Amino acid sequence: MTTVQPDVAVAAPAAGGSRRQVGSRPMVTAVLTAVAVLVAVAFILPALWILVGSFRPTEDILSSMSPLTWQLFVPTEVTLDNYSRLLLDSGFSRALLNSAFVCIASVLIGLLVSAMAAYTLAVYRFPGRNIVFALVVISFMVPFEAIAIPLSQQFITWGLGNTLIGLILPGIGNGLAVFNLRQYFLGIPASYREAAMLDGASEPRILFGLYLRISGPALTNSAVLIFLGQWTAYLWPLLVISNTRLQLAPVALASTFGERSADYGQNFAGTVLLALVPAISMLVLQRFFGRLSLTSGEK
Amino acid sequence: MSVARTTADRPAPLRRRRAGRRQELFWGAVFLAPVLVSLVVLRIVPAVGAITSSLYKAFPGGIIPATYAGLANYRSLFADPGFNATIVRTIVFNLIINPAQILVALLVAVLLVQRIPLVGLWRTLMFVPVTIPIVGSCIAWGAALNPEGPVNAIISALGGDPQPFFTSPGQALASIMVIASWIGIGYWMLFLVSGLQAIPEELYDAAKIDRAGPVRTFLSITIPMLRRPLLFVLVADTVANFVLFVPVQLLTGGGPQSSTTLLMFEAYRTSFAYGSRNLGAAQVVLLTAIMLFFVLLQFRLLREEGESS
Repeated sequence: MTTVQPDVAVAAPAAGGSRRQVGSRPMVTAVLTAVAVLVAVAFILPALWILVGSFRPTEDILSSMSPLTWQLFVPTEVTLDNYSRLLLDSGFSRALLNSAFVCIASVLIGLLVSAMAAYTLAVYRFPGRNIVFALVVISFMVPFEAIAIPLSQQFITWGLGNTLIGLILPGIGNGLAVFNLRQYFLGIPASYREAAMLDGASEPRILFGLYLRISGPALTNSAVLIFLGQWTAYLWPLLVISNTRLQLAPVALASTFGERSADYGQNFAGTVLLALVPAISMLVLQRFFGRLSLTSGEK
Repeated sequence: MSVARTTADRPAPLRRRRAGRRQELFWGAVFLAPVLVSLVVLRIVPAVGAITSSLYKAFPGGIIPATYAGLANYRSLFADPGFNATIVRTIVFNLIINPAQILVALLVAVLLVQRIPLVGLWRTLMFVPVTIPIVGSCIAWGAALNPEGPVNAIISALGGDPQPFFTSPGQALASIMVIASWIGIGYWMLFLVSGLQAIPEELYDAAKIDRAGPVRTFLSITIPMLRRPLLFVLVADTVANFVLFVPVQLLTGGGPQSSTTLLMFEAYRTSFAYGSRNLGAAQVVLLTAIMLFFVLLQFRLLREEGESS
């Protein structure tokens, strides 16, 4: 488990940059490890508290909060009641389904749109190509929130308020997805495309039959980006949806928090359900990019 | 005109190239169109709309059409001491939270590239808060920072006095900073970790030969080599914090005593709760202008530093 990371170990500025420290190495390692554990625990404890709380009765959460005892993290009673009440008795199931639908539609449309743009920007030579590329990336990196309020007013004037299309549209343009796919497409040898053209394949055939077929990792990455953007969206659905039947999960969760702030069990269960999808997506991403390796420090 | 037929023709090369070029142009336009259209519709139209809307005045929620009023909205905003306080608060909030988050993220990143056991696990645990949607994080922290909540229980157990957190004008904004940092630090840390890992080993070998100490090595090699990722995370963090909205809307509603009214929330409240679209548009324009000012300033400062070295 204590995998040596040659590059990282040497890149460590404080970890014995000079030979004089070689003797104190185990001591340094022990101190650094202790600090790392403390920091990690500080960051994970609130999340653990939510997770445990989602499986215990609300009264149990409340009674264990203060004064400080070991019961803060150990339930006296484990129950699925929070989840069943949340999913069966409230509108949260519908909100989850709405969210899932919006996310899937956004991913499908978003991938299509991004891939077409990325292919054009990677493969074709035309004047102003770099300007168009820069424009696409920069404009989609400007935070969406900054224009969300005026855009929502436009959407409502255009009749897109309280519609699923209104929820999906802003999620499809993702500059990072275009960027990722373009970088990946640039790495595909031009000879593949030339061969396909000699075989008489049309441009759409080359894009969908060749490029997309061999771009699994880049497509997954972009899909996760678009998916998570929509899954966690809060401000936009708050602005364009007033009909509770169409509301998305984050806003639905927030509204139950506002109404009955004492029902922590149900709030925590909703939080866990919402966090599950991003957490799994990150694990998928990790498999492709290996940055967050769970088992070792290997890159 | 298909590629196959032109290749079959005799005087192929030139004609094929021309046909190919025309085909490329056609498909390039078709493939780029959706992104360009969404760019115009989703970004440019609302931006222009906000600017023009901010130049008009209307009765809130009224049916009478708005009339052109020049800079009247901006003048009335700046004549309002409450709004000026909101601008100052937003700027101070960002001047504190952005350097602080990036500094902590950098320290943690440096720690988590050391040769220590299970370093990947510690990184993953720090990243968990990032995976929780911000609404969930705010709910959890709203409960945890309840005056009778677990954080105060821990403070009491350590011998401190319980704190009011969100219920006090002096602590509410700081509490929001804690929440935003709990979410943000793990995220920025990851970018800095990969930045640190990209620094060539030879530089550290050279420093070792020169007998540079850890602090000297950090300041002369790590920081200069990390300038690009540092600039990126600082700019991205600044942008994210200028539009921070959920904790304010969900937990404090801008209170107590306006102590957490940041510009983003104010623009939302003016536009929707108060129904003053034109005034709200002016606030959005100001928010964007101030944000861009700080982003450009950061680019300038960090780039000049890079040129001088």
